[in-house]
Amino acid sequence: MCRWWTILPLLCLACVEESAAPADFAAILYPAGNPSTAAGVELGERLFFDPILSADSTVSCASCHRPERAFADGTAVSLGLGGLAGTRNTPGLTNVGYFHHPLFWDGRADNLEAQAGHPVGTPHEMGGTWPEAVARLAASDTYGALFARAFGSPDIDSSRVGHALAQYQRTLVSRNSKYDRVRRGEATYTALEALGHALFFDFGDDPEGAYAGLPTAECAHCHTPPHFTNQRYENNGLDEAMDLQTFPDPGRGAVTGIPYDNGKFRNPGLRNVALTAPYMHDGRFATLEEVVDHYNSGGRYAENRSANVHPLHLDARQKAALVAFLHTLTDTSFVVSFSTKSDRLIEGAGARVQ
Amino acid sequence: MKYLLPLLVLLPLLGCLDDDDQLDPLRDVQFTLNYRATYGGDPLGIQRETYGYPTGDSLKVLLFQYYVSDLELLPADGDDAVRLAEIDLIRWMSAAEDATQQRTYLVPPGDYRGLRFGLGVKPSLNARDPSEFAANYVLNEAEFWGPSTRYVFAKIEANAMLEDDGRFDTGLSYHMGSDALYRTVSLEQPFTVGGNETPTLTLTADVLRALSGNGQTFDITSPDKQTVHGGNQEVATGIWNRLAGQFTLSVE
Ligand code: HEC
Ligand code: HEC
Repeated sequence: MCRWWTILPLLCLACVEESAAPADFAAILYPAGNPSTAAGVELGERLFFDPILSADSTVSCASCHRPERAFADGTAVSLGLGGLAGTRNTPGLTNVGYFHHPLFWDGRADNLEAQAGHPVGTPHEMGGTWPEAVARLAASDTYGALFARAFGSPDIDSSRVGHALAQYQRTLVSRNSKYDRVRRGEATYTALEALGHALFFDFGDDPEGAYAGLPTAECAHCHTPPHFTNQRYENNGLDEAMDLQTFPDPGRGAVTGIPYDNGKFRNPGLRNVALTAPYMHDGRFATLEEVVDHYNSGGRYAENRSANVHPLHLDARQKAALVAFLHTLTDTSFVVSFSTKSDRLIEGAGARVQ
Repeated sequence: MKYLLPLLVLLPLLGCLDDDDQLDPLRDVQFTLNYRATYGGDPLGIQRETYGYPTGDSLKVLLFQYYVSDLELLPADGDDAVRLAEIDLIRWMSAAEDATQQRTYLVPPGDYRGLRFGLGVKPSLNARDPSEFAANYVLNEAEFWGPSTRYVFAKIEANAMLEDDGRFDTGLSYHMGSDALYRTVSLEQPFTVGGNETPTLTLTADVLRALSGNGQTFDITSPDKQTVHGGNQEVATGIWNRLAGQFTLSVE
């Protein structure tokens, strides 16, 4: 049978503009139940910067996820409503839309749509409840029309808020770091950055290569390009635990209920990492130098510490090189474009980011 | 854009070709292949179990995985092989996982004499970058090591206790793969699909036999043999060859 209609979708595709550059990385997987639209993204952006979602209208998503810090906040653990300290460090959101495995340090949210439900009701974050937040949105002059444009009717509920926030966060795309530009042949590394790149990717392993014999820093096993995470859970040796029950924060283990997962956290993406200090799930390291010292030491013992975390024997120059390479993951254009937009939005929302 | 027009002219024609010579959902039968991992014959328990090693040491396995390309059933009458999967990644990485993982396929009923697959990522796919595929495709599982080293075909990671101090503090990490290492594994084991009862096939891979077997034991106590990655494939070749040679197929 001739199924002529099977070509219809292709005909539509033929009308879409070809993208200018070849793909640097696999496309974002847009969920079927929440396709991104211009109106949805605009609404999501507005919600992200609007403290209206918090109990006393003082805290917005952007209070902790600050565009000028690649959507991290510069504090060891996040500070929410009334300055209440949380328990974990705020991760940056660079390229978060590309993560199709669960989110958070411990993977307890399946996707961006589900994640957005968490902060509103968390006491040390936005400190309220969804019914209250939805009521505040419904009472505002502007949101009804924005929801109608984004979703076809002015009804407001937590799921629509989550969908819009997810759509906005899928636009937080960075592909213009020096690392990307070097890959595209538009820039070259300094000697120090090149050495750091070689350490990060274990070039020393290649007996015929230019870096033969160089120590291997093993970073890319977990911080795998293009987003510098393989989205899996590892113990990178932060806390000593002779017994797996003794980790101060069980991390992944609290989600799976399996003691062998205690002390494991999701390998974080490292794009824009130079802007997201302090580091680790509890913000224990103030600088990238401290992070590299940690890995160079091989970390602390637990039987589930990754086999790829071991003493690296890097000298001072090699350590500096790793730090220099991590700085090449900074995408200034990303930060500038999102923080300029946010200034406008924050003024529009009539409140300042804390 | 300029190539699109001829393509659009061609497409309706292609659409009219008979598409499903190969698979017929009405005729085909559901067929289950179990991938089983063991250590010295015992079901593999990631992190949970402590295993002995021929050097007298003990270890806990943290990760075991391998890519399979062109998984095919071999018809008894010598007909063309039936392709079950072009590429798959078989992985044990969490204490939550069962030693046996199941995959189901639709296959034509008939008599078969066995099964064949390529261990690793076949050269035609190994030449392609992950960015060419969807983000959730098996070649986008973050196993791509770099433009020249390409995909890692198989990994074994473990923590070993080399002194008798209760500390599994020596990391062992073996990452293998290159076009030169790609191997075809054929396993003969007659079975019939369809009829009264379609059997379940179990393909077993044993981590210990990959590390130690055929009179060779990989020396995990030697510091330069504890981490084998990337370009340093020579040290890993022995593990790779033993891994490729130890698969067994059983029919139940
Ligand atoms: C009080 C500070 C704070 C506020 C407000 C806040 N977050 Fe977060 N956010 C965090 C912290 C801390 C984490 C990590 C928590 C964890 O993993 O346990 C996080 C994690 C996330 C993640 C997961 C990122 C990843 O890579 O796993 C996303 C997405 C996110 N937040 C989006 C939002 C959105 C959308 C809002 C507004 C509705 C919001 N956040 C409000 C502090 C905050
Ligand atoms: C075994 C996997 C693994 C390896 C290898 C590894 N990391 Fe990590 N990395 C992690 C995990 C897991 C975390 C988060 C740990 C936590 O907070 O508990 C992390 C955190 C980081 C952070 C902090 C990121 C942030 O936003 O807080 C940096 C920077 C970092 N790693 C750099 C490196 C470098 C450089 C190397 C190589 C020397 C390396 N990592 C090797 C798993 C790994």
